Amino acid sequence: MRRRAFALFTLVAVVALSLAPSRFIAPAFADDPMAVVRNTVNQALGVLRDTSTPLAQRQDQLRQIVSSTFDFTEMAKSALGYHWKQISPAQQQEFTTAFVAFIEDSYLSKINDYRGQQVTFGTVSNDGPQYAQVNTDIVPPTGDAIHVNYRLLQDGSTWKIYDVTVDAISIIANYRNQFNRVMNNQGYDVLIADLKRKQAALAASLANH
Amino acid sequence: MEIAMTSGSKQIERTGALWMMLASSLLAVVSFATPALCQDAAPLATNPAAQSAASAQTPPGENNQVYSDPLSGFNEPMFNFNLKLDDWVLRPVASGYATIAPQPVRESVGRFLDNVRVIPRFANNLFQLKFAEAGGEVARFGINSTVGIAGLFDPADAWFGLKEHPNDFGLTIRYYGIPTGPYVMLPFLGPSTVGDTVGMVADSAMNPMSYLLPWWITLSADTGQDVIYAVNYRSLHMNQFEEADRFAIDLYGAVQDAYLQTRAHEVKKLHEEEW
Repeated sequence: MRRRAFALFTLVAVVALSLAPSRFIAPAFADDPMAVVRNTVNQALGVLRDTSTPLAQRQDQLRQIVSSTFDFTEMAKSALGYHWKQISPAQQQEFTTAFVAFIEDSYLSKINDYRGQQVTFGTVSNDGPQYAQVNTDIVPPTGDAIHVNYRLLQDGSTWKIYDVTVDAISIIANYRNQFNRVMNNQGYDVLIADLKRKQAALAASLANH
Repeated sequence: MEIAMTSGSKQIERTGALWMMLASSLLAVVSFATPALCQDAAPLATNPAAQSAASAQTPPGENNQVYSDPLSGFNEPMFNFNLKLDDWVLRPVASGYATIAPQPVRESVGRFLDNVRVIPRFANNLFQLKFAEAGGEVARFGINSTVGIAGLFDPADAWFGLKEHPNDFGLTIRYYGIPTGPYVMLPFLGPSTVGDTVGMVADSAMNPMSYLLPWWITLSADTGQDVIYAVNYRSLHMNQFEEADRFAIDLYGAVQDAYLQTRAHEVKKLHEEEW
């Protein structure tokens, strides 16, 4: 009797699963915001902890990890706010390239600041079907944890990070205010020049380490 | 300038009659800009281009917000003044102090100064009908002032799990949904809004000593305390400002947004804590 009940349950379960939309049974890492963040962060931590590999090589590894999970185009567009529509497509391209290089170098320059911090993963909240936020804490060996939250959007079947908040300050919103001020006061030419100058300074300090 | 980078609540909590005078004279200056006062530092979309962008679909947290900054003519020179002040005075002094006093000592000084500023935290939690949090502040003060040796240590948190509940009058204003007006860069004190400046004056007025002692004693005591607080804080965050400048394209805009985002988050948290 018990066996029959179990067989029936299994049958029902199999039928139910096969009828369910494919996204419920797809591999978790492909379309789960938490898995995307966990994967990215753990890979990055692996590189940060691996002090035996030459620095330049580790920087390349980090660059690859980051470029596959961050939606840089969306970030650049969002950071420019309503000014995005006021510049030409060629300028949009130029700005995106410069901003991506700047953001990448900002994060890469943190590589030497690594002091054995751990990352703990908290909750995931969904903002509508397409958007999610994953909360994490960076816990240093001593002192207070830093709250780092990742905002993701669904792009086809994959989730990509479009913003990061550090202690509740959205990085993209912060740059948006800066870029808005420069665009309004001095214009695009000054903005792109400043962006390239700051990025070059960061890149130079990366090479010196 | 380091003051400018600190989290808003700690800084606003600072008391002191000198700051009160500074703030009131600033308010007098600011009140001449009456039309400007009608605006708020909160996001707005007066720019037609901003409005059309706002109507387009944007991801959560990305609202294409633009701050109004009607006092930028005052704020920008003040920001530069604060930068110079940090460069020439605060940073060198903090650096010298850091070589004399080891970090644990400086952390204790920070806790001591935080402990004596219990009254605004207690009162504002009360104003927001947060009785448990207000009571927690009293308990923390009692435990830390005695067992914690005049507040040098924090056994209330370490042994009893009593966390601090930071609060100030600027947050009380926001808590009740009242706009806090335009963004203001205060000399010496860093980023604020008109409402937060009023809140700072209100919080300072809560110091009972200012009613018991002659004004010049309270003034010098409060000023001394504020200076020690600033130097101590700066010494614990020696590289923070230099770091911020490396990653900023427009430092004024970065500080302004960080302050306004932090304040918005603090008041959101005060609402979320409730059941």
